[in-house]
Order: sequence, then C-alpha cells, then structure tokens
Amino acid sequence: MSDSPQNDSRHNDQPQEFQTLSGEPVRMVRFRIARPQREEQWGQYVVPVKGHTTLVDALEWIKSNIDLTLMFRHSCHHGSCGTCGMIVNNKQALACTTRVMDLVEEAEAAGEDRKSFAIEVRPLQTMDHLGDLAVDPARLFRDFPVDADYLRPSEANKGSEVPGEITGYQRFENCIECGLCVSSCPVVTMRDFMGPAGLAAYNREVTKHPERSGELLPRVDSDRGVWGCDRHLACSQVCPTGVYPAKHIVQLQKKIKKTKQESGQE
Amino acid sequence: MSHGHVVVIGGGGTGAAIIHDLIQRGFTATLVERGELTSGTTGRHHGQLHSGARYAVGDREIARECMEEVRILQAIAPQALEMNYGLFVALTDEDVAFAPEFIQACREATIPVREIPLDQAFRMEPHLNPEIKMALQVPDGTIDAWRLPLHFFATARAAGADIRTFTEVVGIHSRAGAVTGVRVLNHATQEESDIAADLVVSATGAWAEKVAALAGIHIPVTPAPGTMVAVKKRLNNMVVSHLHPAGDGDIIVPQRGLSIIGSTQWKTDDPDTVEVPRADIDYLTRRATELMPVFGETPFHAAWSASRPLAGASSNVEDGRKLSRDFIAIDHGRSDGVKGFISIIGGKATVLRAMGEKTVDLICDLVGVQEPCRTAETPLLQHRAFYNPHLVTKGAAS
Repeated sequence: MSDSPQNDSRHNDQPQEFQTLSGEPVRMVRFRIARPQREEQWGQYVVPVKGHTTLVDALEWIKSNIDLTLMFRHSCHHGSCGTCGMIVNNKQALACTTRVMDLVEEAEAAGEDRKSFAIEVRPLQTMDHLGDLAVDPARLFRDFPVDADYLRPSEANKGSEVPGEITGYQRFENCIECGLCVSSCPVVTMRDFMGPAGLAAYNREVTKHPERSGELLPRVDSDRGVWGCDRHLACSQVCPTGVYPAKHIVQLQKKIKKTKQESGQE
Repeated sequence: MSHGHVVVIGGGGTGAAIIHDLIQRGFTATLVERGELTSGTTGRHHGQLHSGARYAVGDREIARECMEEVRILQAIAPQALEMNYGLFVALTDEDVAFAPEFIQACREATIPVREIPLDQAFRMEPHLNPEIKMALQVPDGTIDAWRLPLHFFATARAAGADIRTFTEVVGIHSRAGAVTGVRVLNHATQEESDIAADLVVSATGAWAEKVAALAGIHIPVTPAPGTMVAVKKRLNNMVVSHLHPAGDGDIIVPQRGLSIIGSTQWKTDDPDTVEVPRADIDYLTRRATELMPVFGETPFHAAWSASRPLAGASSNVEDGRKLSRDFIAIDHGRSDGVKGFISIIGGKATVLRAMGEKTVDLICDLVGVQEPCRTAETPLLQHRAFYNPHLVTKGAAS
C-alpha cells in the first residue's frame, strides 16, 4: 500500500552501528529485495540487525515497520516447515536459519564496501511466482508421491528402551519439502524433470515400503524421472537438512536396474 | 445446498479446523490470511502434542479434552505426529512431593500415567539429568506445527473450500446490524475487492483486537509472546517435562533432528513487532540444562517467539461463550450489535479440531441448522494434498 517501499533516506543520518541501552550491538544492514510484480522491481531497506537476527526476522521487521504488503512465506522460524526458501546473495537458503550477521561478515571478508553493500534476496526459481519473495510450491509437490510416509524410525540414542505402548521411536523425515534443491537444479531450469525433492521422496518410500516398488518405480523410470539427472549435485549442496537428494536418485537408478535384471528385461 | 457462506479470517490452526468443519457440515466457506498459512502464532508453537498432563492439576477439563484430542489426532492425522510419549521428571524433593497430586489429577482426566523406575527412565532417555528423583510416563508427543494444520486445509480445499493467502482483510461490511461481508486487499495485485458473507469468523488470536476494530468493536486482547530455543541435535525421543506446577522453560520437545526448550511469556502491545530477547535464550538454555545437562553443550540452532493471545476484561469478553476453559467465542451479535460476526480467541494446537467443532456448533446454533460434527471420525488428507487437490484419491475428502 505504501507509495514508496524504500526506507533508505530516513536512515541516512543514523549511525551504521550502535548499542542498545542494554549494551547489545546493533548494525544497520541494507537489503535489496526483489519485487518483480511491482513497478520499482526492487525494494531497498535498511534494517537494524542484532547478533541473532535472522533473515526472516529482518523481513518481518520490514513488513511491520515499512510495508505490510511485502510478500514472503514463513511459518516455523526454525527450519522445520520449509516455507521460507529464497535466493540469498545468489544462493538458495532458508531465511529463518540464515543469520544476517553471517552474511555481513561474509561480505566483509570478500572485501565488499561497507557503505554500499546490500544483501540481495530473490524468490526461488522454477516455481510459480506469487509476488515479491513468495512462490507457489505446487510445482514441487506435483512430482511427489503425494501419500508418501512422512515418518521414519528415530536414530537418536540408538538402542534406548521404548515405552511398552509403542513399537519404536518415530520422527518426521529430514526432508522439509522446502524446494531449495528444485530451485538450484540446473536440469529443472532446462527441461521437464521431476526434480530432486520428489525423486528423493520416491526413494525413501520404496526403501521404507518395498512392497510399493512395483507401483512406484515405473513412475520414475523415464527421462523426466531418474534418468534426467545430470549429476550437477547442486541439490545436495543446498539442502538445509542433509537429505542429499542426489544420493537418493542414484539409489533409485540402481533399484530400477536391479528390478529389470531380476525380471529378465534388458 | 449450502447452509450459507462463511468467511473465516486467519489461516492458523483455529481457522484450519473451522473451515474443515464448516465444509463437512454443508456450509460454503472462504478463508483469508494476510500472509502464508500458519505464519502468525500456530507455525511457531513449541510443537508439543499435549496429553493434558501439564494442565491436569490446574484444570481437569482442559486436560481431559487434550487427551481425547490426542486419541482423535492419532486416528485422523497420524502423519503429522511423532507419538513417542513423554516423561515428567522430578528434580527436587518438592517435585516428588507434588507427584501424588499430579498422578491423581491425570487419572481424573483419563490420562494414563505411570511411574517408571529410574534405571528404566535412563535407559529410555540416557541424557536425563542423573540427579532426577522420579520419572512419570504420559502419552505426550510432537506435532508438526505446519503440516498438521495443512492436513485440515488440504481436506477442506479438496472438498471445495476457497483458501486465499496474502489476502488481508481491510474492512468488515455490515448493514442494519448484521455482517454482510469483508473487504480484502490482495497483496500481490494491490487491488481491493469484496467477499460477501452470511457469517464472518475472526480466528485471528493475538490479532483479534485489530480485526474486531474493523467492525467498530473493541475487544481487549493482549499479545503474550513466548520464546523457544532449538539445538542442532535430537537429544531425546520422548517429550521431557519438569514435574512441577507448570512454569517457564520446563519442557523439551524433540522434533526431527532437533530438541526444543520452551517457553517464556511476556506481554506486549503489538503482535507484529516481536523480537527474541537475548536474555530469554540464556534463561531457556539454563533451564533445559537442568533437565538434560547435555543441552547446554549442544550447538545452537534457532530461537524464535510466537505471540499468543490473552483475552482481557471487558463486557463482550465476559459475555463471550467459553467454548472450552481456555478459549472463548464472542458472538458480536449479542454483545456488540453486529449479528453474524464471531471472534475466537485462545486455545492450543493439540485441541484445534475440538475448537473447530465447538465454533461450528455455535455457528449452527446461530443460523438454526442441525448438522452433527463428523470431524472426529473423518481421516484427513496428508499435507501434500493441499498443493495437489487433483491428485487426491476420490472419496477420501468427502
């Protein structure tokens, strides 16, 4: 709603660094935020940042102090829901576990000019754009086994005793379905490819439930499935929860080959 | 053959359960949320699935309701829960002296509670403080704070609910003392438009005061944020709680590869400008270390705050029907002369389905519809179905 989403000017007179009354250091950090659906294309904002301020905190600050219509997805603020994936300084990341001061220190180490330096934030690519930093993750889930089991045995404190009421400790999957891998995958940007997140989910599902192999493996045995992977490994590098999708794709390829050998095909 | 069109404001857990129940009972409904779903309070909650044990001494009814909902959620949304039980541990003699009252209260609330010999407790949770004096097992667990509400949204959407994100309510229309619809601002297009409604439900929790003000109504709601801190390792499988009258920083909830201590509580004026106080992080880490010493040695993962609503005193809040001991529905037709406008404040994630049921019971009363609630027996679609309504197996949602 605001006519000018930029707040650069009003902070020109403020010191770049100061301390709160309680002695906490604060740094004024400049952000350049993609707003592709707006006439101005980019918004420039200067945000007060403390040691533990995350990118999602900074975006919320902009939203509540400057422009209530800044669009970005967020929910849990601790890296579990997977909604706040963005491209931060040209790298896919979760906004809620990205500490702003880490980005500042990185830029300084790379010799960036302190005064003109800005953290650049863009929406994830390869997904439908909703506005500003928000995308529609439907593209990500289109190639998921939609009913895949989201639970798995917990690896914590291996061998520990389990309450009599349950058969084993369970936990949610590591994959938080954030789409960073799909956004980083060069193949997804080039041609029709199911993408790393969905393929990894297929592999987890047939690993946990081998009885579903006959139904699920044929769905990924194609050029838009496992054979589309060019092994760029970008997916495994950007994954914030250590899923290593590329590893799952290789495992799926092996499972398909093995199934075919056993059934006498090829 | 709709019983009427309802606009639900707020895409948190309460709104999710309400719109699902409305659709199940034959209403048509539109839900509007100014940001992403569960981006206010719900998504940032601690993630505990409450057996009710924590509340039993203070309020048997809340505890009994929690236990009932745990059983229901296990049946209708098992994929959104880590059902690993929980241990309440005594750190002092005073805590041990509290145990009989705690056990009695749990039993009265139908919560199966039993004492676990200490050596067995350490075999279950090896990181427990070796000095603990007693351990009690209860059916606690973990909720996926994003995916549980999404189960409700997915099921509602597949059955025809209209769910709009990044759509902010900027006005509430009424004519002759009755609500007629809402005016919304689409954040993407920056355009305003109207949505007609027979009823408007504000399920906006800590934001309820701001939303009611759009209809010229004052309800005092104090946002009461609390902080949570997660470490980068799953140290426990069961929820570990301090056996004492409920207080700050006394529960460690495991989730995925994390352990999360919470929470604190303070009061503020504006639910939107909530910052994590540095002192809270230190305090919570210290409290967690009392329960599991290794917590303090584990790398920090994240700290965040969520604004919970505290409903203040005023005539309409006092008039508000207490749908449960800890959440209220205010029928603004009765208390403020705006028929068809309802505010829901309070509640907790574990009992979201029950909040939906009670709210829609009230709505049915208001419009004179007799339609039983079926959400306790209706399995929900998985979270991913929200984005793939066309892939959903027919029949599952209806």
